[in-house]
Amino acid sequence: MTAALLVFDNVTLPGGTSRISLEVPPHQAVLVLGSEDSGVDTLPSYALALAKPSAGSVYLFSEEIARLPYRSLLAFRRRVGYLPAGDGLLQNLTLRDNVALPLRYGSDLTEREIRGRLGVMLALLRIGDAGDIRPADATEEQRRRAALARALAFDPQLVILADAFDGLTVRAAGELLDVARGGETSEGARRAVFMTGQYVPARLETRIETRYRLVRGELRTED
Amino acid sequence: MAAPVSALGNWVARAVALVGALARFLVEALWATRWLPRAGRRVATRVLIKQVWFTALQAVPLVITLAAILSFLVISQATRELGRIGATELLGRLMVVVIVRELGPLLTALTVAGRSGTAIAAELATNKVMGELTALRAMGIDPLHYHVLPRLGAAVLSVFGLIVVFDLVAIVSGLVAASSSGMTSARYFDIVLDSLTFRDVWLTALKGLIFGIVVGIIPCFHGLAIRGRPTEVPIAASQAVVASIITIFVCSGLFVVLLV
Repeated sequence: MTAALLVFDNVTLPGGTSRISLEVPPHQAVLVLGSEDSGVDTLPSYALALAKPSAGSVYLFSEEIARLPYRSLLAFRRRVGYLPAGDGLLQNLTLRDNVALPLRYGSDLTEREIRGRLGVMLALLRIGDAGDIRPADATEEQRRRAALARALAFDPQLVILADAFDGLTVRAAGELLDVARGGETSEGARRAVFMTGQYVPARLETRIETRYRLVRGELRTED
Repeated sequence: MAAPVSALGNWVARAVALVGALARFLVEALWATRWLPRAGRRVATRVLIKQVWFTALQAVPLVITLAAILSFLVISQATRELGRIGATELLGRLMVVVIVRELGPLLTALTVAGRSGTAIAAELATNKVMGELTALRAMGIDPLHYHVLPRLGAAVLSVFGLIVVFDLVAIVSGLVAASSSGMTSARYFDIVLDSLTFRDVWLTALKGLIFGIVVGIIPCFHGLAIRGRPTEVPIAASQAVVASIITIFVCSGLFVVLLV
């Protein structure tokens, strides 16, 4: 059996006393829904060690990520795609430059190679025409698409999506989920996807292998 | 009696803690250069060039105007007053010490602090409010590399470059003022260049470096120090510019006490 890519082991959420455990296996999409005050929005932060739980451990690619030294942690995070709530795009860069930023900073690709990859990513997310505008001038859907393109820049094995579908149409949300999954293989999705949020369109649920709901600090599996 | 003493003590303790935190932030930023990835250097250089454009090149007209007016006023008055007591040769020392070495760096640094320091602090604070810093960290990019180092480097380059512009314009403007009072340009350049020593040059250069660090690091510190509420953005900008101005004056005073 292949090891889970992301494991929350007896993790305490802010303000909660109970502990939760869950795993994100390869080739699967895992969703945790919860209300705003449920603490569900801290799970992506714990997964990337942007915040540390008061108790419990988080394992990313079998490494206890919170124990990594700062420099190794930064390099380790590049192995994961992350679409934060509210997109997190840099306002003074165009959408194209936002998508290019992780490649320019974290790879030895030439500018020509980066432009080639950018063209593919922007076309895949259908924002090729909007590449030269800044986030403030883009629609919410364009921003979310650009943020997902940035998250997928290194073609990661695991993508973490926080509140990714809020404010999107069902069709756009479905497209983003499909791109995040990276197509299908015989074992399931090409990429594992870990999603958190308050809402996911019901029509997308068939494309999500495991669904949980966080209620009063307790993780309940949904059918 | 105890209350004012206690308040003063609290103020001093806060000021010392702030200076300590600033010093630590500066050391961390400089230390971070050691492990900036090679590809990251290209990204940081792009940010630095953009920042030099905003901080230095766009400020050139303002610095030229300030230098021209200030130098013209000082030299035209000085030429007249020194001429009355037959001491026009002191004009050179006045130009070098007062304008080139003292007011040039001081006014340039204050201009950059007021113009770009507020912008840097407000921009970084807004970035924090918008979640951009968290997004950078999540991408494996240290905000010290992406935001702080390029702005610090740009501030040093900009202040240094603008001081050179200020001093050159001031010397030319002083020539116009002296000429209008009847002094020949040959005589003017003779007394100014005779008064200029190597010590004046390196002191001015050192001031450019120190003031550049002050103008670069303090706004970054205040911009990144907010907790993440939008209402903190203008406060951070205001604190940054006030702290920068005070530090520039304190450093200027220390230069006079320690090095002149």
